[in-house]
Amino acid sequence: MNKMPLFSFLLLVLLLGIWEMAAGTMSELVLPAPSVIGSALWEGMVSGYFTPHIIRTASEVLLGLLFGGGLGFVIGILMGEVTFLRKLLSPYIIASQAVPKLALAPLFILWFGFGMTSKVVITALVCFFPLLENTITAIRSSDKQKQELFRMLGASRLQTLVHLKIPAGLPGILAGLRVSVVLAVVGAVVGEFIGGSQGLGTLIIASQGMMDTPLMFAAIILLTGMGIILYLVISLFEKRWTIPYKKEN
Amino acid sequence: MSFLTIEDVTYSYRGKNPVLHNVNWGMNKGEFHCLIGKSGCGKTTLLKLAAGLLQTDKGRIHLEGSEVVKPSPDCGFVFQSPTLLEWKTVMDNVLLPISLKRKLTEEDRTQALELLELVGLASFSDRYPLQLSGGQQSRAAIVRALVQRPSLLFMDEPFAALDAITRDELQDDLLRMCRRYNMTVLFITHDISEAVYLADAVGVMAEGEMVYQSKVELERPRRMEMRYDSYFNELCYRLRQVMGGNQS
Repeated sequence: MNKMPLFSFLLLVLLLGIWEMAAGTMSELVLPAPSVIGSALWEGMVSGYFTPHIIRTASEVLLGLLFGGGLGFVIGILMGEVTFLRKLLSPYIIASQAVPKLALAPLFILWFGFGMTSKVVITALVCFFPLLENTITAIRSSDKQKQELFRMLGASRLQTLVHLKIPAGLPGILAGLRVSVVLAVVGAVVGEFIGGSQGLGTLIIASQGMMDTPLMFAAIILLTGMGIILYLVISLFEKRWTIPYKKEN
Repeated sequence: MSFLTIEDVTYSYRGKNPVLHNVNWGMNKGEFHCLIGKSGCGKTTLLKLAAGLLQTDKGRIHLEGSEVVKPSPDCGFVFQSPTLLEWKTVMDNVLLPISLKRKLTEEDRTQALELLELVGLASFSDRYPLQLSGGQQSRAAIVRALVQRPSLLFMDEPFAALDAITRDELQDDLLRMCRRYNMTVLFITHDISEAVYLADAVGVMAEGEMVYQSKVELERPRRMEMRYDSYFNELCYRLRQVMGGNQS
């Protein structure tokens, strides 16, 4: 019997217990007890106070992932396939990798305003690179003998891409997507920190202003949950894709 | 006029020292030829040139009278590794050559299943390649090369990674299928006894040149006992001496 999940859960209970006791000796403003945070979270959820914020942040994250990840994937394929493009663009890609993307957030707020657009742009930018890099690598590293097989079979370039390079590279591409997903939440929250009227990041800044630390923790927990859910969705998809042919080996 | 002719072929990778010098070879329809040689002697390069995967620097390669400049749809190629697509079932892998060209029909499936039956893989048709043993993967790869009924089959050490017993079984499977479909095969190996057992003619390559060739006068179908008779062993010994070159 595998008892590890049980042990992990017991560890969580233990840590929460220690936290609860430690919190008893301190002001709620510094470290609210888990029970206080729990009730703040529950009340916020039940009253629907969190709902618009969750929707806002989630849509920023998803739209950012869609645009940034999608563009990273497409450009990654093009750069993986077309040597000319890769050689032309790679200095710029390396240079732009070195730019701290989140430091551009204030600029995007200036350009795109305080609404959702600026946050989606930041999120997309953050998601773009991991997917781009992994897609280029995945497309280029497909097996040489299999490529020769496709040439032998008279497959067109598009057929080779669709039937060989993309499916063979999918594990690598999905690994890039997993990184992107986690970064997307960071991107959206940082965007909201800098300016905005809605979203969980805005809520954190607001709760700081109101000195409502339990609310701040509640927002952090919601963000963590969002990250976990997205991560799990990708892992699930990865399993769906790889398990059928790796099992029973 | 032979089926496949290789005339004075010279080839070098990126203008460096030639890998092949003036190689000549010819095969008739329905024949099984093996080329042997140590690794790095240029045998794989020659096979790829003949298959149209590479272009010659000098010399010509003709298949049924027309010059080979690109891979012909009439030729199959079996690589050193099985090169099955891990995300497709055995059946889909076998049907890949057809599905790249046109829509699959029910007839294609029946035909593929028949071929799989011949190598004992019919019950594995909806498994994935990684769930098969090495020998089964090689069999599936051969079936995939045969599904389009090519007139010429190129094989590049397809059994090199298998254990001796499995290799023997696969050699028999291969010979049976070749007879059945009257196939012409150019087979590369570094295993002398494999070459002698399979082939009608054996060519020995060394340092980019064809240094020796010999007919194999064994009756068909080949049987396991033949591996142990004196003619077989003498021929192997002779080929071994040629391959050993000056060192021995």
